[in-house]
Amino acid sequence: MTDRIREQMSALLDGELPRDEMGLLVRRLERDEHLRRAFGNYVLAGEALRSPSGPLAGARFAARVSAAIDAGTVDATPVPVAQPARARWVRPTLATAVAASAAVVAVLLVKPAVQENAMVAGVALQQVQRAFALASLPIIAESSPTPAHSQRLAGYLMAHSQFASAIGRRNVWSSVLASDPGIARASYEFAETP
Amino acid sequence: MRLVRAALALGLLGLLSQPARASDDDARAWLERMSEALATRNYAGLFTHTTGRQSETMRIVHRVGRNGSTERLVSLDGSGREIVRTPSEVHVYLPDRGVVLVEPRTDEGSLSKALPVPGPQFDALYELRIGDGNKLLGRKVRVLDIRPRDAQRYGYRLWLDEETAMPLRTVVADGRGRPIELINFTQLDMPRRIDSKEIEPTVDAAGFRWVRGARPPPEPRPTVAAWRPTRLPPGFSLVASRTQVIPGVALPVQHLIFSDGFASISVFIEPGNPSGPAPSQATSVGSAHAFSTIVHGHVVTAVGEVPLETVRDVATSVVPVQIAQPPPHVPR
Repeated sequence: MTDRIREQMSALLDGELPRDEMGLLVRRLERDEHLRRAFGNYVLAGEALRSPSGPLAGARFAARVSAAIDAGTVDATPVPVAQPARARWVRPTLATAVAASAAVVAVLLVKPAVQENAMVAGVALQQVQRAFALASLPIIAESSPTPAHSQRLAGYLMAHSQFASAIGRRNVWSSVLASDPGIARASYEFAETP
Repeated sequence: MRLVRAALALGLLGLLSQPARASDDDARAWLERMSEALATRNYAGLFTHTTGRQSETMRIVHRVGRNGSTERLVSLDGSGREIVRTPSEVHVYLPDRGVVLVEPRTDEGSLSKALPVPGPQFDALYELRIGDGNKLLGRKVRVLDIRPRDAQRYGYRLWLDEETAMPLRTVVADGRGRPIELINFTQLDMPRRIDSKEIEPTVDAAGFRWVRGARPPPEPRPTVAAWRPTRLPPGFSLVASRTQVIPGVALPVQHLIFSDGFASISVFIEPGNPSGPAPSQATSVGSAHAFSTIVHGHVVTAVGEVPLETVRDVATSVVPVQIAQPPPHVPR
């Protein structure tokens, strides 16, 4: 992946990519699985920096993370990244910079919109993501669907979404497309079973 | 971690409780403008969908034509999955599995007519507020809060483009104001014309397995037995019911749709399959939840963009009932 592509993906996430370049990049993303995975990693990093809490992502947060680092409670689990260890994603105009290594991702956070600067260094990306995560949904013992139940759920979600509001339908569809839950995978496995 | 979540919750609660600048009528007008914009405008954009610890980037294209609206949603984060809504069907492309799920499209018009418009009943369930917001994507925005008056449904905070009322950011929050789902546009265009090619899937589905749902043919005589929940959250009422085939489910299921005018809950009654696996009781998918149970040998599942407790209450209260039939006409 070239630096130019990296810059374009960064600009895309910040809504700063010129329209003509955007069209080309989106088409490339739609067709290039490797690029999509790399983009996914950028999104994870970007989302950690673009918390919906806005100004909450500021110095106090950085202080708490720093305290966690000092206390030795930071999770340093390696983060799977598509970039080589030396890869670096820097876009000063985005006011964000993410440097990735095999084990630790350092995050430099600057939020010019609120004239608030904060630097969090040596923090595993997972830790940042976790700290910025939205409230967890209720998790109960039965929440891991079996393939058969997932199949039902996938079908039910699609049928239900047609009666949801436009906002609700978009949310449901996005969840169905999300790669993690495995709902669609389960649908396939069930469909293959006579 | 807890401190951060608490701060997020307090932050949202604080935002939700800020004094409304404009009247409730203004808020209703913005809600109606948003609904109209979503239904009638062409738009194409990129957004991130964040729930729990997961975030994905999606591209959406919505096109309004003479035959109604069509839409395409595609994940850009690896799987390449797509959903395409044509005038007659919804197609879910799963290139990672070589499968396309197909669901007949429901007539949108009939549902929108069945839904109550914001009014006294809506006001009893939700509090609407409109306020000022900062710029998003370089556009001035208004912030519309839809706050539930009980914990049986979710609240929404919507950042609406001041010019078009299109939502640029949406946060779903639980009854305590904790954000649980976020949709944030990073790019949004509203062109006058969108080429039909933009709605076509990029997935080459040649060789894919197509799994179709459908509506079964009309029954020769009215169904006598029906199913109804005995517990529904305040304000929810039955707005539609039908029997349909769900993709991948062997037998037709009854589908009941309840709405409070904003949120909706579906109840599916699947004929019992003693040889099949027992259903999982609860599942969370984004801000939507599902709860299944077995009632009189049938698998009953409630699904909705409401809290888990709500779908659980609804599902566990479903009972078979007799529907009064008109007496047969006997010619003299």
